[in-house]
Amino acid sequence: MGLVAGMALADARARCPGLATLPHDPEADRRELGGLVAAMAHVTPMAAADPPDGIVLDITGCAHLLGGERELAGRAAELARYSLRHAFAGNAAAARALVRHGNGSEDIHALPVAALELEAAALIALRRAGLTRIGDLARRPMAGLAARFGEEAVVRLREILGETRAPIAPHVIPAPVRAEARFAEPIARTDDVLDVIEDLLGRLERDMAARAIGGRRFVATLCRSDGARRRLAVETGQPVRDPPTVMRLMRERIETLADPLDPGFGFDAITLAVPRAEPLAARQIALDRSEAAGESVAALIDRLGVRLGMERVRRIVPRDRHLPEKAQALVPAAGGKDNPSSRRTPGPLEVFTHALAERSRRTTAGVRRDDGGDILPRPLYLLDPPQPVSVVAGVPDGPPQRFRWRGQLHEVRLAEGPERIAAEWWRRRGGHLPGEAGPTRDYYRIEDSAGRRYWLFRSGLFEERPDPRWYLHGLFP
Amino acid sequence: MSDHTFKWQKPRGARLSQPSNRRLPGLDPGWLHEIHAGEDDQAAALAFVLASVRGETLLVARRSSRRPAPILCGEGLAMLGFAPEQLVLVDAGDELELLRAGLDAARCPGVGTVLLETRGRFAGYDLTASRRLALAAERTRARVIVLRIDTKPRPSAARTGWSVASAPSVPWEAGAPGWPAIEVELLRRRDGPAGGRWRLEWDAGRGAFREPSDETEIPGTVVALPLLRAGAADGRTIDPRAA
Repeated sequence: MGLVAGMALADARARCPGLATLPHDPEADRRELGGLVAAMAHVTPMAAADPPDGIVLDITGCAHLLGGERELAGRAAELARYSLRHAFAGNAAAARALVRHGNGSEDIHALPVAALELEAAALIALRRAGLTRIGDLARRPMAGLAARFGEEAVVRLREILGETRAPIAPHVIPAPVRAEARFAEPIARTDDVLDVIEDLLGRLERDMAARAIGGRRFVATLCRSDGARRRLAVETGQPVRDPPTVMRLMRERIETLADPLDPGFGFDAITLAVPRAEPLAARQIALDRSEAAGESVAALIDRLGVRLGMERVRRIVPRDRHLPEKAQALVPAAGGKDNPSSRRTPGPLEVFTHALAERSRRTTAGVRRDDGGDILPRPLYLLDPPQPVSVVAGVPDGPPQRFRWRGQLHEVRLAEGPERIAAEWWRRRGGHLPGEAGPTRDYYRIEDSAGRRYWLFRSGLFEERPDPRWYLHGLFP
Repeated sequence: MSDHTFKWQKPRGARLSQPSNRRLPGLDPGWLHEIHAGEDDQAAALAFVLASVRGETLLVARRSSRRPAPILCGEGLAMLGFAPEQLVLVDAGDELELLRAGLDAARCPGVGTVLLETRGRFAGYDLTASRRLALAAERTRARVIVLRIDTKPRPSAARTGWSVASAPSVPWEAGAPGWPAIEVELLRRRDGPAGGRWRLEWDAGRGAFREPSDETEIPGTVVALPLLRAGAADGRTIDPRAA
């Protein structure tokens, strides 16, 4: 239909009105290519990605296993499930040039000079000199080419001709981190099991230190002699490989098991695996051990998380929402301050966090804003959901005069407000239509006769609903 | 009413209550402290604690299933000068878990403050338990604070025991509630005489609770320093000699 790469979207749509388009996502392309490279393990152990859209396979000694080179190419195309071009050559650079610039033949000398993939200026210079084929260049002395068209031209040419080595970096599947212990006689005591796990951890620590990784999840599988398997899994917020730290978590895990570790006739094998690992470089211990503080807090959070459950050890993070009770969330504290959940959320959150820090800095620094609108008081405690209270208000639109909460009557001494917070109409279907947005809240900061300060709001304006209700939403110090 | 916009600002020339002649002992690190408050004064007690602590803080509480528990508001914490990201909230299932978690936290180096929020009688918190907490605090130089809500003081190994309640604030213009104000009473103290009551008010200039003093009370003679800075930020300059 005349569609080519690099065409403007409007032109492409004009030629082909039913064209489905997607935004360009290089990251997804990269991941897909990585998946394809991994799939090529069926063909050869030496596969490397050639970004953005190529794969180089070293098929030395592999072709006969699949019945020949042609069959091997067919198998690779089957695995990739894409329409693709392929070429065979004696080295990776030549194969690449053939596939990207060739016209089906395997003659390297017939390739255009564009196969050198030089800069536009050098290519034009080559063409002006009447050199259009690789073969034209190969016949000439290299020194003269380097002088006129740059060293790059010669390096590429030599690579394609196979005169210099251009090795590929094959994708290597990392070996799983695991260790196993088998026993001639089954063991039954929990202490013995823990000793074995500690021993295995010591082995894994050396393995992980050599690879500069640390485990985020450790799974011990206890194989009972009657075939039953018991799994003990612990997770950590930070990558670790230090055996005592993991042992402490394992002990916590065994203590908090709902049903105790039943050895039956004993365990005859124990395996320890690290299914989730992250980079962890070797760390230098400071002379005064000052950096140990942050780590030990992370370890404490992990320990409490294993004992009580990860979802019960939490931190407060701000969220980009408008209503006060939704403007923050409690997320599991494991994973440190750069929690994955807070890292995923983009821009506005950081802006908000910054605003929060800015606000606190300003209030503590005592700098007064003349517009007064920027620093709005927020309570120390929020009641979620807001508690309904019965209220006597003087004027319909004014602050309450007294209110009853938990059966106790509070006389209002001082009041300030309203601070009007609109409902999140942009999140509601049809919220932009008049009357569909949901109730607007008018917040009042109130001090009662006992000197306690509350945050009350009236849900709905008088125009919006006939009898708006009042709620208590927060407690001020 | 619509002209009542919020102004988080300080009244000038307001007459405050008489200052106490005794210095207020603080919640020193390395010791166990106890703070008693009524059910309705929980916010005041927490504000008193959080205003004086910095660094990594663990708040261990027991989630009650009866009524929806109030949750801490990050922005409210930020207003007390406490960075919300330094707070870790731990929900314990029962009293024993709460004490164990609190003790573990107190024994962990690097934790600045451990807050145990307890409610009601809390039989597990006896002399032995409090002594353990005090020893852990002494070893790690952490500040361990037991917030005791809705209960009577009992003998314990705490260094200081306080009672905190909300106090009426000094109103701002247009009848608005003023800065957070609390009333604290020193119930017991191991290294000195107990007793003494202070009425403390939030001082945004210093980011701490302090006793309202007389120095700002005489109107028209002294321009307070924060206002000078605000003036400079606005592009105006106030010459103190001209005032």
